[in-house]
Amino acid sequence: MKASFISSLLFVVLVCSCTTAKYQSLVYTGDPYNDALENLKRAPQKDKVLWEYKLSVIALRKGLIEESKQHLDNALSLAGSIITNDKNARKARSLFSGESAKTFIGEPYERVMAYYYRGIIYWMQGELDNARACFRNAQIQDADAENKSYASDYVLLDYLDGFITTKLNGDGSMYYKRALESARLTKPPPYLTNANVMFFVEMGEGPKKFATGEYGQELRFSPGKSSAKKVLIKIGDKTIIAPAYDDLTYQATTRGGRVMDHIIGNKVVFKESTDTLGNAAVIGGAAVALTSKNNDVALGLIAAGLASKIIASATNPSADIRCWDNLPQYIGFGAAYLPPGQYSASVEFQNDSGETVKKLSQPIQILVPADGKDVVVFVSDSKN
Amino acid sequence: MKTLFTKFIQISALFVILLFAGCAISGVKNPSGVPVTEMKPDERGFVAGTGIESQDIVAVTDKMARSILGIPEIANAKNPPMIVLEPIENNTRFVINKDMFLTRIRAELNSKARGKVRFLARNNMAALERERALKQSGQVTSSSDPNIVEFKGADYFLTGKFEGQHTRTSAGVSDYILYTFQLINARTSEIVWEDSAEIKKQGLEDAVYR
Repeated sequence: MKASFISSLLFVVLVCSCTTAKYQSLVYTGDPYNDALENLKRAPQKDKVLWEYKLSVIALRKGLIEESKQHLDNALSLAGSIITNDKNARKARSLFSGESAKTFIGEPYERVMAYYYRGIIYWMQGELDNARACFRNAQIQDADAENKSYASDYVLLDYLDGFITTKLNGDGSMYYKRALESARLTKPPPYLTNANVMFFVEMGEGPKKFATGEYGQELRFSPGKSSAKKVLIKIGDKTIIAPAYDDLTYQATTRGGRVMDHIIGNKVVFKESTDTLGNAAVIGGAAVALTSKNNDVALGLIAAGLASKIIASATNPSADIRCWDNLPQYIGFGAAYLPPGQYSASVEFQNDSGETVKKLSQPIQILVPADGKDVVVFVSDSKN
Repeated sequence: MKTLFTKFIQISALFVILLFAGCAISGVKNPSGVPVTEMKPDERGFVAGTGIESQDIVAVTDKMARSILGIPEIANAKNPPMIVLEPIENNTRFVINKDMFLTRIRAELNSKARGKVRFLARNNMAALERERALKQSGQVTSSSDPNIVEFKGADYFLTGKFEGQHTRTSAGVSDYILYTFQLINARTSEIVWEDSAEIKKQGLEDAVYR
């Protein structure tokens, strides 16, 4: 009897235990790109996209355009698809695995940023319509927000869509109008149709994910922070202003509830119910043992109660807090016309009061070619 | 002993029933997602999107190549018309390798039309001009007078435009793409041929991504 009881318990434990892919160990040598590259190699398959995302932006900030492009293409080949019948997704839905068992493709604001960066690279490489496709695709990622007033409301994405459409001799006015309607931080200026130098700027540290609730079941975002809200690019006596148009914390926190939150909610209910049931069965069994001589029933109830508690304990309703943690808080843009030639420029970051944040200032070189192709300059106050 | 074992089994069975009854995904529509579907039947893996994929390129370019061959300007031409490929304009939300469509149409026409049309290698002009300059300077041999211009001009331009209508809601993602191609008379700017293909795809991802 004892043997069968123990083996039953073991069976329950076996069924309930989940196998979670683990990292060998993360590498931190101080070189963010090579560390992330090594961590990408070590990461389980389900986390590869996360590391590709992180690597892409580190590479872009370092000026490693081809590497950044490759990382984004690797990530978007999966994140851009429609994932169905995936075993990791099934596991994440199951009672005994947390949400992080699923293959990471990121929350919508993270996917938006992947397409946004890819669009910048397409523009750098002279493929304007593919750049526009990326900005458009980025905006679509945000289209299914619960509250429709927050759906597809990235100012910069609409603005860039219209800008490229105008540059390609189309009518970008509809997109410009939409950008104006969504603008919360700064109203974007009308398109400078002869602009040939584009400045993509980013400022601060973006939102981070954390979980609250007794079982870590509630996905939350800690707000990002930035000491700057505007970038000035000074070339001789010319100043190009690139203000922040979008706030990633705002975007991350205005999505509304997810279907996954409903699944997690059901897991919580199940966990609590089985635990309560287990308590009742164990107490009931103890009471039967004390008040009657029917030890068989008492033992049966206690065994069932313990099994129920083990199941409750193994139920995992935790939310996924894997996070693309090197995103900026603000993204902005500026455009200018510069005649062909080599320019030395200084980049100044300004805070909300218009004061320069001196530690962030940096010099840049701009080479405007004679062939008329656009120059795309990427400016960040972060190096990681 | 036997009674105890029977009771244990009964109670365990009750818990198993409760386990299934308390399934965490109850109330969620299509928890496993709905595989991507499209108007044309085709084979695809589980990683698929609603964007422009290889089967679309094949279907669209096959249709266009057949269509071009049927027009009188090509079918009845005394001399094979010279065609230059002009880049396609992508106005969808999907990144594409634009050359792939025109390259495949050209390859289809070259392999199946048996000389009814000729394409000019304008993409290779830099190399061709370099070679001509070498011949003109006498650095390499030439089978004809290198000073006579023999680069041919285009009779037609073949180009296209892709337009898209995209929707993403809680019910899924829907993408409609209209592919249009044109053959433009290089002398008169007349559009002598135009054809289109439409593909619509819809899908709903796994609930864990919604």
